[in-house]
This record gives sequence, C-alpha cells and structure tokens, in this order.
Amino acid sequence: MQTTSEKIEGMDVWLYHGQIYIPNTFSAGATGSRFLTTIRDKAKITGTRCKECNRVYVPARSVCKDCFAQLKEWVEVSDKGTVLSYTIDSEPKPIHPTDAPVIYGIIQLDGADTGFVHMIGGADPEQLRIGMRVQAVFKPKEERIGSVLDIKHFKPL
Amino acid sequence: MAKEPEYIIVNIDTPRKYNWSTGKYLGHVYAEAKENKKLVGNKCPKCKAIMWGPTIVCPKCKVETGWEWEELPETGTVTQYTYLVFPLWDPHYGERWANPHPSGTILLENGVYQRHFLEETDPEKLKVGMRVQAVWKEDYDERGLGMQDVPYYRTIEE
Repeated sequence: MQTTSEKIEGMDVWLYHGQIYIPNTFSAGATGSRFLTTIRDKAKITGTRCKECNRVYVPARSVCKDCFAQLKEWVEVSDKGTVLSYTIDSEPKPIHPTDAPVIYGIIQLDGADTGFVHMIGGADPEQLRIGMRVQAVFKPKEERIGSVLDIKHFKPL
Repeated sequence: MAKEPEYIIVNIDTPRKYNWSTGKYLGHVYAEAKENKKLVGNKCPKCKAIMWGPTIVCPKCKVETGWEWEELPETGTVTQYTYLVFPLWDPHYGERWANPHPSGTILLENGVYQRHFLEETDPEKLKVGMRVQAVWKEDYDERGLGMQDVPYYRTIEE
C-alpha cells in the first residue's frame, strides 16, 4: 500500500489520500485471558465474584473496584441478559467490527452484577428497548480466536 | 493439575484515513512533477526569490507572489547531512524505512534549499559539499505526489 493522489477534474488542484497507521497491541492479562479462552473453548461467559461485596464482574476483572479485594472465584453466568443501555452508530468507521449501522449495547447477563459492552445484532432499531432480553450468539468453534468478538452479537429474545 | 495459563494478546489496528486538497499553488507543483518531471517554485515579484514549496505571499516582502514559475535545478550541493541508523517506520502504512537512512539539506544552483533523502549509505562517503542529483520516479503512474516523486538524491561525480 502507498499514498495516492488524484487530480480534481478541471482544476489545478490535487486531492491527496493518506492515512495514519495506528497499531495497538496489548496483553489481556491473566484474568482477561482466562475470560477470553473460556469463550473460545467452551462458548461460555464467565465472571469473577468478589468475596467482600458478593458482586459478580462480567467481563471478569482481577480486583474489585470498590473493595480492592483480589477476585479469585470464577463463576459461570448465563448467555442471556438484559439491555441496560444501547446506542446506534450509523456512520461507517474503521474501528467498527462490522458494517454500519452498528448497535452497541450494555448488557447485564443473568448472574452478573455489571454491564457487558457488546453489539446487539439481528434487531430492528425500532424494536430496541432498555430492559429487553437478549441472548449471546457465538461464532462457530473454528472461527473463534480468543477475542471478545468470538461472541458475534447479542440477539433479541 | 495446574495448567500453564494461556495469555491472549489483543491486536487492534485502526488506520485513520484522511484527505487533503493541495490548493491551487501546490497543485501546480504536483501537476508539473507528474506531467513534466519538474519541480517548480514560484517567484516573488519584488525580491525575485524562488519560493519552495510554493507560497501565495512572500514571507520576506509580504507581497503576493503571483503565477510566475521557475524550474528548480536537478543538481545541488549538500550543505548539511544526517545519517540515521534507527529502524524508523513509516507512520502512514507501518512499513519500515530503509536503515541506514541518510538525509541532508541540498543547496540547489538557484539558491533554494531542499531537504531530502540521499542515496549514499556509506557514512565515510557522505561529505558536506558533495554534489547530488535528483532521481525521479520513472513510471508515470507512480508519480503524482509532488515532491515525493523525487524519492532521493544520488551522488554525482563532477
């Protein structure tokens, strides 16, 4: 790939097409990795429970945000949940995992106490409501790579 | 049995695309470079200095430069150089730049200073005062990026 340019018809003006390459690599860490590999290998969503306040974090995290307790206990949560909030982005952008329009939602899974940010798919925008019930749709096993996008989206129930 | 934990590395590449218009004056430089393999600068009507890159107003005299163009000479003399031995990468497409990566300031025959890359990669042979010549992209379809149509200057013997 390289930078290109084109002359604007009828004018002594050129349009320069460029881009800035922004690579980003980070480790998911011990807790995040276990969360992602469980989705990849077992198609199950897990979280960590805080012994102090009994809160279940999904996605899993290693330290409780209020108690600062180490979260060692893993629990499996349901693949069904409730939409706490959502937004629709109609503008295509390179950051979007899928084609626009993309519906992003915060979903509280049954058994979890926190919201899980993901996409809502296969839904008519008119049909979206806060409090609606959704269920995770996993990609086929051979397509799962240990990414949070191994869950394709959440579909309305 | 305790299993060796697997660590997931997350890669997110988000190239940001942008477009910009050259405008009328720089557009003329682009056109001349693509069509005629010429780098051109415009001339101040008052002090007769050549603007490179082209400007609408002469920074010294504060008068409009107008539409009088002059071709920059192909050859010049190196007045400064630097010799970079660090694997920098192109911020636009993420490709590695050549390493080592010499560049310099070249005083062209008409008094214009041109900052550009040099072909000579041997630090022993890089000298202030060495004579260099512009190397053009020969393929018409590859040209069209203004000053970048000259990828580097090569050393010449005189």
